[in-house]
Amino acid sequence: MLQTSNYSLVLLIQLALLTYDLFVNSFSELLRAAPVIQLVLFIIQDIAILFNVIIVLLMLFNTYVFQVGLVSLLMERFRALIVLSNLYLALSIALHCWILNLRWLRSNSFVWTDGLGTLFVFQRLAAVLYYYFYKRATEYLGDPRLYEDSPWLRDAFARARQ
Amino acid sequence: MPSDPGSPKLHPHLKTCFSAELVGLKATTTSQRLLATPWTCTAERGPRALPPMPSQDTGDEMPPAKPKKKKSKKESNGVEDPEEAGMEMGVVSQGQSETREPMTPEPQELPPQRKKKKKKVQAAVDVEGDPAGPSDLLNGDGAEPNTEAEEVPRKTKKKKKLKTANEVQCANELGVEDDDIITDAQAPIPQHSLFSAPLGQSQPVGKVFVERNRRFQAADRLDLGKPSDHADDLMEVKALWTTRDVAMRVHSSFRVIGLFSHGFLAGYAVWNIIVVYVLAGEQLSNLPNLLQQYHPLAYPAQSLLYLLLAISTVSAFDRVNLAKATMALRGFLTLDPAALASFLYFAALILSLSQQMTSDRINLYPSANESLWPPGSEQQILQPWIVVNLVVALLVGLAWVFISTRPEMDYTEEFLMAMEVEEYPRQNDKTEMSA
Repeated sequence: MLQTSNYSLVLLIQLALLTYDLFVNSFSELLRAAPVIQLVLFIIQDIAILFNVIIVLLMLFNTYVFQVGLVSLLMERFRALIVLSNLYLALSIALHCWILNLRWLRSNSFVWTDGLGTLFVFQRLAAVLYYYFYKRATEYLGDPRLYEDSPWLRDAFARARQ
Repeated sequence: MPSDPGSPKLHPHLKTCFSAELVGLKATTTSQRLLATPWTCTAERGPRALPPMPSQDTGDEMPPAKPKKKKSKKESNGVEDPEEAGMEMGVVSQGQSETREPMTPEPQELPPQRKKKKKKVQAAVDVEGDPAGPSDLLNGDGAEPNTEAEEVPRKTKKKKKLKTANEVQCANELGVEDDDIITDAQAPIPQHSLFSAPLGQSQPVGKVFVERNRRFQAADRLDLGKPSDHADDLMEVKALWTTRDVAMRVHSSFRVIGLFSHGFLAGYAVWNIIVVYVLAGEQLSNLPNLLQQYHPLAYPAQSLLYLLLAISTVSAFDRVNLAKATMALRGFLTLDPAALASFLYFAALILSLSQQMTSDRINLYPSANESLWPPGSEQQILQPWIVVNLVVALLVGLAWVFISTRPEMDYTEEFLMAMEVEEYPRQNDKTEMSA
């Protein structure tokens, strides 16, 4: 059974990482006085995304539903999150590499191209969707039914066996 | 002392009592006398099998106070105290421990081992002091196979059986009247529990180890009541705050932040577009002035717009429960305010992001060269940017109006609550089962 204190702590960490991510996405363009600052911010952001994905996966593995083998039930609920997280991570890394590569020598210059602009838009849109799905998933992972035996789970198990 | 064949016949239990007294007295006297040589006491126990003696004789020889005290203790306890039973050894071992104490660095760890030893010795004593054993000896049947079979590692069941068998046999043989049977002698029966260690004195220390916070912590046995009450209180508090409650609290907190963000974004977007139009002048005739005045604000404004749009979009998605595709689609088809608002916010977000390049261009206006801002290109670059900003302002304003019509609506929260509703019958079942 998931302890309330443990869940609160994990939730706090996840939300803190999400907040950092949102902060960097919003204001990283303003903090480009030196390319090193952006480099550090981007590295931490990518690691934060990775950490968030790992945490949510660990929480999924910790559920009783996963342990009894009903992975499909969890995937049905959290597929969108997992796909979006990976997509967002890939887009973020790509955008960060591209932007830093262009700005490394001349940090305060106009570097935008059509391709970079498109990637930027997609990365930021994916970020919003990722925030939504991630926040929703963390809240849904607080559902106690996922961590204990219940008639609902038995019904799901019986349905899965048929 | 040789047994007196002419002495009056006594019931085996009576004899047992006498013999026990005798043994005890003998032991105390010997232990007092031979304190210097400790193990002689155990050796002295050999003569415990001495033939019985009438009570009058013992009364003459021995001081009556000590044995009586012992007996009364035994009777009051019901179960023979191991230290009491192994008194002879107790004196000796005490003496030994006193001599050893200065040498041992951790005297607290010794008692369990010593107690084990005591138990072993006492077990041996009990076997010898068992009512069945001496009764046989008293009857002159010392060579009986039953008594020989009684050894230390014997199990309790067998002993009980043997004992009852002996009692019946003796009763049949002697034909004693019921009045002679001392019922108090039944008290030593529970002393068999001493052979099965876990049943008896299983908690020799005053500490009890209680599991708290996944760790075992020592607590006084006497104070155990209070912490348990405290723990109960904590459990009650914890029971009030389940993981779902935490999730609901986070969700509702974010909804409040989102509600604030909706209003702030609408107001900010409207302010932004008003400022742009005021600086641009009538019919966008004064665009260089706009660039000159607005360029330090362009990028921060864009960043803040993205921040607020992101929060507002997530909040709007929460309200429509976008993850449930059917529910979201139904909301869009029925022109649900939350669904419309989320659509408007998403559109505004895309439009706003598409102007990132232009915002950066405005931001770099002072340090720009001719390639970035060719002369006369202000109108061409800035007009779409102003129009898009106007549309964004209209979209977020409209979305805010839609959200404000039903600010309490939140399908995701309803979905979370629905889980709780589904769980009620199960909890009732649990309480019934526990009852």
